[in-house]
Amino acid sequence: MDDQLRKLIDCIFDAHLDTIIDCETCGSQFNCFAELVAGGADAHDLLPAVEEHLLCCPDCREEYEALLAIVRAENQGLTAS
Amino acid sequence: MTERTNEEWLADLQSDSDRQGEAIQDLQNRLQRGIFYYLSRERSDLSGLSTHELTQMAQDMAQDATLRVMQNLTSFRGDSLFTTWATRVAVRVAISDLRRARYKDFSLDSITADGDVLPPASTLVGGSRPPGPERAAEQTEILAKVQSTLNDVLTERQQQALIAVAVRGVPLEIVAEQMQTNRNALYKLIHDARRKLRTHLETQGLSLDYVLNLFQE
Ligand SMILES: [Zn+2]
Repeated sequence: MDDQLRKLIDCIFDAHLDTIIDCETCGSQFNCFAELVAGGADAHDLLPAVEEHLLCCPDCREEYEALLAIVRAENQGLTAS
Repeated sequence: MTERTNEEWLADLQSDSDRQGEAIQDLQNRLQRGIFYYLSRERSDLSGLSTHELTQMAQDMAQDATLRVMQNLTSFRGDSLFTTWATRVAVRVAISDLRRARYKDFSLDSITADGDVLPPASTLVGGSRPPGPERAAEQTEILAKVQSTLNDVLTERQQQALIAVAVRGVPLEIVAEQMQTNRNALYKLIHDARRKLRTHLETQGLSLDYVLNLFQE
């Protein structure tokens, strides 16, 4: 099956996208979420709505992963010049 | 470098003594190191750039980010470390720049060449064996239904946006800019559109299993 059609169909029928929060709401909780995860907390137990949004929204996910990577690296002293 | 508490960061950055300049410089250096780490370690798409080029990029982005942090100090609510909040600002600046550079030639109009977002069925079904005539006819019919549902539920511009984001993987931010809206509004639009599309298709008896089955070899 054509990959693009498959993506469109998946996107239309993906019921799991129904309850999620928007980018703004996700973004407002993002910073402390990243800190806790960088500190070793399990993302799944923390804020399920934020985690779910991150799974479905590539824009937010890219930014969250970048923030998490930097905060982790700072915690480990990897960004020191 | 001394580590400041959140209160100290805010006090120093808003101070009218030399402490302000020092704090701004500390902040900018810190953001630059974080961005440099991200660009050099986490972005495989930038691996062709030299350390010098990455340093230059990180420097420009950190400068821009520091400016934005200073303009938005009052919106820091104190629910995280100040440095995490500032790093988030820097991440937005950096990723926005990278997205813009990557999609500088992208146009939403390129999504629909002839008014329909879905190509003809014959081009969609990969695989070695072509479907039998009955199945091919059924596929064509279903694609037409999906297309007409798209037309009922979304404007052409909105269809372009849906395809760009959900199928082609173009960042919301880039598509939103071309639609002269913001990312959050676009996210909601696509979210609502999907729900409408699904309801619409399901009322016509088209379930996910049925559609997938039809196009499976
Ligand atoms: Zn989002």
